[in-house]
Amino acid sequence: MITINNIGKAYNGQIVVDIPQLQIEGGIVGLVGNNGAGKTTLFRLILDLVKADRGEILSKEKPVTIQEEWKQYTAAYIDEGFLIHYLTPEEYFYFVGKLHNHSKADVDEFLQTFDAFFDGTILKSGKYIRDLSKGNQFKTGIAACILQEPEVLLIDEPFANLDPSSQIRLKQMLKELQEKKRMTILISSHDLNHITDICSRILLMEKGKIIKDIETSDDTLSELEDYFKV
Amino acid sequence: MGIYLHSILEEAFPEQDPVTVYCGLILYFFLLDIFSRFLMQDLPTLVIQPYLVQNVKRSRLVQFLNLRSLVSFFNVFPLFLFIPFALSTIKNQYGSSASFAFVITIISLILFNNFLVLFIKRKTVLSNWWMVGFFVVVLVLMAGDYFKIFSVQKLSASVFGLLLSTPSFCIAFIVLAIGSYYNNTLYLKNNLYLDDLVKSPGHKASSEYHWLQRFGNIGDLIAIDLKLIIRNKRPRSLLLLSCIFLLYGFLLYKPAYFDKDQLGSILFGAIFITGMFMMNYGQFLFAWQSTHFDGLMASNVNLKTYIKSKFLLLTGFCTVAFLISLLYGFMNWKIIPVQIAAYFFNIGIHSVIAAYIGTYNYKGLDLSKGSSFNFQGIGVAQWIYALIIILVGAIIYLPFALLISSWAGISVVGILGIINLLLQDWWVDKISLQLQKRKHKILSGFREK
Repeated sequence: MITINNIGKAYNGQIVVDIPQLQIEGGIVGLVGNNGAGKTTLFRLILDLVKADRGEILSKEKPVTIQEEWKQYTAAYIDEGFLIHYLTPEEYFYFVGKLHNHSKADVDEFLQTFDAFFDGTILKSGKYIRDLSKGNQFKTGIAACILQEPEVLLIDEPFANLDPSSQIRLKQMLKELQEKKRMTILISSHDLNHITDICSRILLMEKGKIIKDIETSDDTLSELEDYFKV
Repeated sequence: MGIYLHSILEEAFPEQDPVTVYCGLILYFFLLDIFSRFLMQDLPTLVIQPYLVQNVKRSRLVQFLNLRSLVSFFNVFPLFLFIPFALSTIKNQYGSSASFAFVITIISLILFNNFLVLFIKRKTVLSNWWMVGFFVVVLVLMAGDYFKIFSVQKLSASVFGLLLSTPSFCIAFIVLAIGSYYNNTLYLKNNLYLDDLVKSPGHKASSEYHWLQRFGNIGDLIAIDLKLIIRNKRPRSLLLLSCIFLLYGFLLYKPAYFDKDQLGSILFGAIFITGMFMMNYGQFLFAWQSTHFDGLMASNVNLKTYIKSKFLLLTGFCTVAFLISLLYGFMNWKIIPVQIAAYFFNIGIHSVIAAYIGTYNYKGLDLSKGSSFNFQGIGVAQWIYALIIILVGAIIYLPFALLISSWAGISVVGILGIINLLLQDWWVDKISLQLQKRKHKILSGFREK
């Protein structure tokens, strides 16, 4: 699905991403690493929002920098910069839906499945997205991603702003999406418990490099905890 | 300007004593001042948020808020306008105590207005009735003055005439200023809680523009742009400004130009009048969306579709302005052909330049701030922009106007506009390639807040 060939990116002489070779193909893949490890930049590189200094990223064998096809099957939520803050959540969902040829009725139907996740605080709230809390903004963003029925889904720090119930619901949702729709999901997180819980594969990043590529097993959590121990 | 006030007044009102005119003007000015402050002065509230939880006394914060509010264009401008006159003419004619009293009075009035408006504005945050009440009072004052029920000028002249004869009268103004300050301080002290000061947004409803749907995704993108304009303070005030600018034809279209067929000056005016919004909005074409440009570039939006939507949006606004400005035809029929040429110049050539220059703008915009005196996102590129539009227009027009006739120049401007409009698809390709190439730079610029 996504192939990374010798990609490198540096800001002011400091290396943020340096990955010789990486293949991501199906499953839920977790990205862990301390701040500044390059997780978000890697996401942005995959979405062609940042220009690489060298190397290339292929999505379905096509470089993301040249063609725009990947936009049709890739959905992402990195930060509030992915939301249109002066729209109501509904307007935003309809907009995203239309970009993927979903009618208003389709979107309404889809949103019903999110009732529990939204907890009655997002739809018909009478607020623009900019006035929602961070957690609700995030929920809006993630719902808009899933609405697109993508083949590739990228989410940066999904658990950071969510309350515990929503975290658990989100984990279930992601697992289901992966199982039913064979989505390739790439998430980054600082929460080792969650990430070892749902990911089949975990990439550990340090200073832009992927220093460990782990097939998740029962020992993974303690392995990661050992690494992060100061 | 204040230094020349004496001679300006002498010029404008030759039959009256400048001091009388000056005295008559002061109250007028400060009434207008209240009004414009109300519309434009920012409430210094949000900046103190982080300090509310720190170890700083509440009264200290209130003092800070009050002091901070003084740093404003509105508090400096009247000083430069009125003080020099008080220090020169009044001192020469009425002595230094009268001059001193005037300086004190002017400063007191500035402070009075400053704190009064802050108080009213804070009240309107809580209840719109204060806003309605404020406008009613202003309207009554204006109407009363206009229909000569009472005269602000006479009142002002008599009040300040009194000040000339008895300088100690200025104490009354000091009392007014102090009263206004205390009123505001007291109010702030009792209400320095975030819930009250930060405006709680009213109910926001979703809306749809069905008429845009036949344009498909282009229409959806335009709807997003329209909502951006309507729902955010800065583009909204730009739109308002552009509407007001439509009236500038009365200034720019001078009868003398028509008699001598000086169509170049008319064309210049017509380009601005039909293209004002295009100029204001177009120069930040992508920067308006800086807060969500990341999402836009990663979502399923084809760059060509995106650029097309921008062209259609600009064309739409330009067309509306053009249709309204046709009314100027009643002034002189010659305006209409010139405006038609200007219109095609705007939608054919100006729009392309706007989009092209937009790809060189790396500065994001904060949509919530008003546009007057807001220089955020304005760099060399924006000044170059206005210059380029004028230059391009002149380069097309002048050779033909000078060699053949001004009508030939106008026709060429219009025809080139139409030709370029027909080439728009080609430009869309060019500009989307350009955007694809530059978008990383734009994105990283927009991410820096």
